[in-house]
Amino acid sequence: MVVKILLADDHPLTRSGIAEFVKREGTFSLVAEAEDGVRAWELIQELKPDVALLDIRMPGLDGVTVAQKVKSENLNTAIIMLTSYDAQQYVIASLRAGARGFVLKTVSPKELTTAINTVAKGGLYLDPEVASVMGNQDFIPEQLSVREREVLLLAAKGLSSKEVARRLFISERTVQTHLASIYDKLGSRNKTEALLLALKYGVVTLEELLEED
Amino acid sequence: MGYMLSRLKSKYSRTRSHFLAFLLFALTLPSVAVMLVAVSGMMSQERAMEAAVSSYVQDLAESMSYRVGSDTDVWTFSALSNFTRFPFFSWGPSIPGWVALIDQDGRIIIASPGAMNIAAIWRNDLPVGQAIRVNDKEGEQYTLAIYPVNRPGGGYVIAAVSWSQLLGGLVGVVRIWPVLVVTIALFSFIAIRLLWSRVVMPLRTIASEIDNMTLGKDVPENFEASTIREIESVQTALQRYAQAAIERDNLRNRYVRDIVKAQEQERMDMAREIHDGPLQDITALVQQLHITLEDDNGDMKRIKRTEAIAKSVVRELRALCDELAPPWMDLGLSEALTEVAERLSQAYDIEIIADFDDDARNADIDNERILSLLRIVQEAVSNAVRHGAANEILIQLSRDAEENLLLEISDNGKGFDAGNINHETLRVEGHRGLASMTERMALMGGKLRITSEINEGTTIRAIFKD
Repeated sequence: MVVKILLADDHPLTRSGIAEFVKREGTFSLVAEAEDGVRAWELIQELKPDVALLDIRMPGLDGVTVAQKVKSENLNTAIIMLTSYDAQQYVIASLRAGARGFVLKTVSPKELTTAINTVAKGGLYLDPEVASVMGNQDFIPEQLSVREREVLLLAAKGLSSKEVARRLFISERTVQTHLASIYDKLGSRNKTEALLLALKYGVVTLEELLEED
Repeated sequence: MGYMLSRLKSKYSRTRSHFLAFLLFALTLPSVAVMLVAVSGMMSQERAMEAAVSSYVQDLAESMSYRVGSDTDVWTFSALSNFTRFPFFSWGPSIPGWVALIDQDGRIIIASPGAMNIAAIWRNDLPVGQAIRVNDKEGEQYTLAIYPVNRPGGGYVIAAVSWSQLLGGLVGVVRIWPVLVVTIALFSFIAIRLLWSRVVMPLRTIASEIDNMTLGKDVPENFEASTIREIESVQTALQRYAQAAIERDNLRNRYVRDIVKAQEQERMDMAREIHDGPLQDITALVQQLHITLEDDNGDMKRIKRTEAIAKSVVRELRALCDELAPPWMDLGLSEALTEVAERLSQAYDIEIIADFDDDARNADIDNERILSLLRIVQEAVSNAVRHGAANEILIQLSRDAEENLLLEISDNGKGFDAGNINHETLRVEGHRGLASMTERMALMGGKLRITSEINEGTTIRAIFKD
């Protein structure tokens, strides 16, 4: 099966570099290239590609907004953010907007192929470089307790410790203890990283994260 | 602009001089008019009185000389026994003057009371047949007329009227009021002159001082000491204003100098970072490429090394960009704060907890203000680690009772005596951190509060509106 791919990036050199990567793979078909967000959104609606590679910063519409539109229109296009930014908050924002992949532009063709294939099949792909520890594939995280999963999910939605404590009917101090234990088990240093690692290791699913409360 | 200003100024100064001229004119004109009227009134009154008195004494002398000339007895009888026949001579004080009959040698033959002082006014050059005004030795004024008696043997009739007797107090009043008016006019002139020299001229000096003053540079000092309190307070106010302008300018210059210095420092830091980082790496990259190209085997290990170097250049440049202008600030306040907190935690290897209350988390803050808040967090964390040796920092975002947003950065560091911060010393030593945090908050319409105690850690509070 051929994967139809759309590529949107305002920088011609990077765009042609990535396009070359995509064209090398026999199972991929690059159906369109766009140099801004508005054009990308038009082409996605028109061509309905399987995967769209979107730059975050683009003139017109930024990549995250395009991803949101795709999500709210329930289109069957899987989004991979393709960016120079390694900020974890961008990863979270992209995932919240419905993207299923986050890849840095320095990605190797092999990694990009894996990423495209993963998201085309409905999976989640995060660049190993977005958090340095995430590259460690051999790490097997310790199982989180049910309560710890709950704490992590609520905290990942941005709730304050106070609010998490209120919702779970536990003390703020207990929330902090749970968080510390979660970080320890996942090998993360903070909330965002814990969430990304939990997603990567399949401890929580993207759907759980996106669930509205 | 300059042209408009000067036009505006000249327009105003013209109106101003018109007004003053009008004021002086309005004050002067009545005085002059009153004085002129008074003088002319006095002169015509004087002339009228003169004429009346003259004709009176002339008539008197003439009729007397006629009557005395036709009555020979008067020359033979003793004056005292016969003067009843001449009712003139018995009028006494009832006539405002006196008459006297004298012979050719000037001896008084007969005279009415009051004529005794004839000697005091008698002069040899007195004309005959015409009224004349003379003064006696006491300065008393008389108008007198001398008529020859028409009979053999000659003799003269002298009739005289004393001005003070004839017109009494009237003369005084008539003469005193022009004097009063003239005095009033004089005082007016003096007042106008004083007004000119003490008010108008100092005001002009002040105006020209203001014109010539370079604000922020000069303080007008060559004012003459003024006796007028209002002028003096205008002078003092002007001097104070000029002084304040100088201080303000100095402050601004110093501020600009500081900013320029900080800017240059930042550029130097940036240049050094680029030089030590990406530039070195790209140089190495080029070297590796050269070797690879010259190496016929196309050593894969070398190409892999080249790729690794290139990737590290990208990382370094990305970090540099993030440092210069964090791109994640457009994700929103809490995301930006979380990102910066996590990065700082990693960079300093300390624990930073970012905790945002529900009602504050989604506050709508524009990018410019988010950047300011990020810089405040960076500065606060950097201070906490470098000066306070803190290893735990809590960043909280909440709302206070007045719905203000409150960003609190509290650390467990050494703290300092917050009541004893000397901003000037800090400035001179090149520590603009606290000042720049405060300025950033002021610029976004908020406030910055620093609380700290020795061994109690430090809390920085940024209070602002969304």
